[in-house]
Amino acid sequence: MRPGKSLKPEAPDANELAGLLRTGTARLHDARNTTLALESRFDLAYNAAHALCLAALRRMGYRAAHRYIVFQVLPHTLGLGPEVWRVLDKCHNTRNLGEYEGLLDVDERLVNDLIEATAAVAKAIQP
Amino acid sequence: MIKPNMGISISPPASTSLADALFPKVRQRVLAVLFGAPDRSFYATEVIALAQSGSGAVQRELAGLSEAGLLTVTRQGNQKHYQANAGAPVFAELRGLVLKTVGLADALRAGLAPLAGQIDLAFVYGSVARQQDTAQSDVDLMVVSSSLGYGELFGALESATLALGRKVNPTLYAPAEWDKRIALDSAFITRVLSQPKIWLIGNEEQLHAPSA
Repeated sequence: MRPGKSLKPEAPDANELAGLLRTGTARLHDARNTTLALESRFDLAYNAAHALCLAALRRMGYRAAHRYIVFQVLPHTLGLGPEVWRVLDKCHNTRNLGEYEGLLDVDERLVNDLIEATAAVAKAIQP
Repeated sequence: MIKPNMGISISPPASTSLADALFPKVRQRVLAVLFGAPDRSFYATEVIALAQSGSGAVQRELAGLSEAGLLTVTRQGNQKHYQANAGAPVFAELRGLVLKTVGLADALRAGLAPLAGQIDLAFVYGSVARQQDTAQSDVDLMVVSSSLGYGELFGALESATLALGRKVNPTLYAPAEWDKRIALDSAFITRVLSQPKIWLIGNEEQLHAPSA
């Protein structure tokens, strides 16, 4: 991976990494709670995915200029393929439509697939 | 409810594809490059690389298509640039053929082929199907399946995404969810249903089949 405009080198920080892994794991756990609203589970899983993917990038000594980049670099940071990173990328777009245009269109399948992809990230990032 | 395709072969083998019946192989590839991205020009070595075909064969196609007025040729220094000629009398029809066959639909059909048994409906909608796309436009894909997940779908579409040089943006619904959204008359589904589509699996009749 070559740092360009979208990636800036920044030395990894043990506390930051631990914090991201902790919040990612906790939110992923709660996202599976089917008593919560589907939208809430989506938010939890999306934020878990972002924290874990950011941790993977920070661990390699980079920070991203935009949120979506942490998903797109997953093939490089954790060796994960399109069946994971494209799902997260899609959910990023879904999340943006919800946050900025009030059009959060999630169904059970998308939330389940997001949780599955996030779980794959959580598994891949374990030392 | 959407009826499953009962053992009907959905993706014909490569030897009987629509594109093969219409055009020889190298012409297909040259048309796919130039009519797949009609808003930009290519120099010959680019077309040769993108078409992954022999230099002589590609040059012959470029010469023939230019002579017929299907391509415009402009000189930039000592390079010849080729571009789909939007002024050609059959431009829209040929672009439509390319999109529905070699340029787009065949690549997507091939990607979906291993999953075809699990898919009730699949079609391209949005700017590509309306022929209003630019080189940056995503390919919007609708898939109705009771068993597929996004992970599997993205995995299957990866090679098509790379071949097309464009992002494929699928929306996946379970049949019940699809029926529910049609019944609810959601703005998104209504817009999708009323617009042109490029069918990959299933057809318009299946779409309007009465619920069982």
